Amino acid sequence: MTDKKLNDLDGLENLPGFKRGNPTYFENEVIDHLISITLELGAELWVVKDRLAHVEEVLSEHNKLSLDSLSTGKPSALLQEQLDLERTQIIKRIYGRLYSKYGGDVAEEKSAI
Amino acid sequence: MGISEAIYKRGKTAGVFPSLSTRRDEAYMDFIESARNLLLHAQQEPIGEYSKLLLKNAGKSMEPDPKSTAEAIELLMKDNVLKTYYRIKRTLQESFWECTYSSLHMRKNDLLRALDDAEKIGPGSVAYDLDFSIPEYATAEIHIQPGGNVNDPLSGLLYDYGSKVFMGGAADNDMFADMQASAVATPQNNKVHRILDLGCSAGVTTSALKRIYPDAEVWGIDISAHMVRYAHARALGQNLDINFKQMLAEELDFENNHFDIVVANLLFHEVPVSISRKILSETLRVLRPGGSFTLIDFSGDKSRDVYTMFFGAMDAADNGEPFLPGFVRSNVEEIMEARGFEMHPYDPDKFILAERIGFKPNH
Ligand SMILES: C[S@@+](CC[C@H](N)C(=O)[O-])C[C@H]1O[C@@H](n2cnc3c(N)ncnc32)[C@H](O)[C@@H]1O
Repeated sequence: MTDKKLNDLDGLENLPGFKRGNPTYFENEVIDHLISITLELGAELWVVKDRLAHVEEVLSEHNKLSLDSLSTGKPSALLQEQLDLERTQIIKRIYGRLYSKYGGDVAEEKSAI
Repeated sequence: MGISEAIYKRGKTAGVFPSLSTRRDEAYMDFIESARNLLLHAQQEPIGEYSKLLLKNAGKSMEPDPKSTAEAIELLMKDNVLKTYYRIKRTLQESFWECTYSSLHMRKNDLLRALDDAEKIGPGSVAYDLDFSIPEYATAEIHIQPGGNVNDPLSGLLYDYGSKVFMGGAADNDMFADMQASAVATPQNNKVHRILDLGCSAGVTTSALKRIYPDAEVWGIDISAHMVRYAHARALGQNLDINFKQMLAEELDFENNHFDIVVANLLFHEVPVSISRKILSETLRVLRPGGSFTLIDFSGDKSRDVYTMFFGAMDAADNGEPFLPGFVRSNVEEIMEARGFEMHPYDPDKFILAERIGFKPNH
């Protein structure tokens, strides 16, 4: 669906960011991978914690569990609130130290704007 | 099942966004969003101070010119903390898209069917052409979104969910769009019959404009059929009567002097400057005399220092923003003025969402 003729624009592909690359930031790219791995493990750990809390909530309320509803349902608003708080604390505690050199380990959570 | 239920089978997240397909994916995404808020957004100020100190200690120029910017990249990207920050930023972006893409594509057929169904009903309408010629510049994978804006049938949903997570809560319930739309200038003589939103994506600002001007005829145009298809379904879910159409902002299919208000929210930094110039000419053409144009986007380099230029250059290269540096350097308010807009005073210190407001002259 691309029409090159419509462009009066040469050299687009040379603009940084026009083509998706695979940047690494450390001379030793193993460090790049290790950081990515710890983030991925953190996310997967969080998935398990979320699931466990959801299972506990369902079991304590209904005394029986439907696997389907665990995939398609959601925790209660109250539990979600507790989970949100816990998640923030875990991320701060585990990863914050990466920024301790300039005091970023104690920075408060912020949205983009 | 109704249209909105099919799209939002698991309900909506934060009021307006499509929920992901499983609780597992949502929990994963909760982590990504929190990690972004804590490890990226919350760091922006302190890491900025830290970076500026590094530049100062190395005796580097703080001017925003290209040479100083290149030197800043060279120096700062030797620092291990900054390398870590940019590694985390890129990894969170990659993980975000991997999860969103696979989660929404898991329901692809359902979602596409829902978009098809939505096309047949109103309020509002959608028009597009599957043979539309897409200029090459528009195929960039902005924000490294898989397929970019134009090459994935679920681009609109992917984009919408992306804006939820990238804004870290600020876009929930369309709060951010409502705020942006409230910054849109009213035209001279205050009469608003027709409004055009350029590069409307998921139609979020378009919808916010319709809420402010419920009696106006509102149009949202985008280069991507997948965007306008989704925008229509999204507006339908809010019962808003808006016309969405696939169109190039640089080749508008509207009569001269047709609109009272034209808006472009975050479009200009995503197109090459040569296209921006054409869009501005077209905007002037379709605006009626006294009509207002509000361009909301990042600030130009006149109001920046070398650090914000460095930050933008990193985003450009590693977060798929190839046209951002050119846009910043173009100081678009000057192009607007040169094209003939009567400019409203512009606040150059507003870094993130600088509104440039121009009116079409009455003579
Ligand atoms: C960052 S998004 C805009 C966000 C949107 N205005 C909002 O308020 O949510 C940029 C959009 O511009 C569209 N676009 C890019 N080039 C365009 C062009 N030449 N004409 C029309 N739309 C364009 C893209 O498809 C994308 O959906």
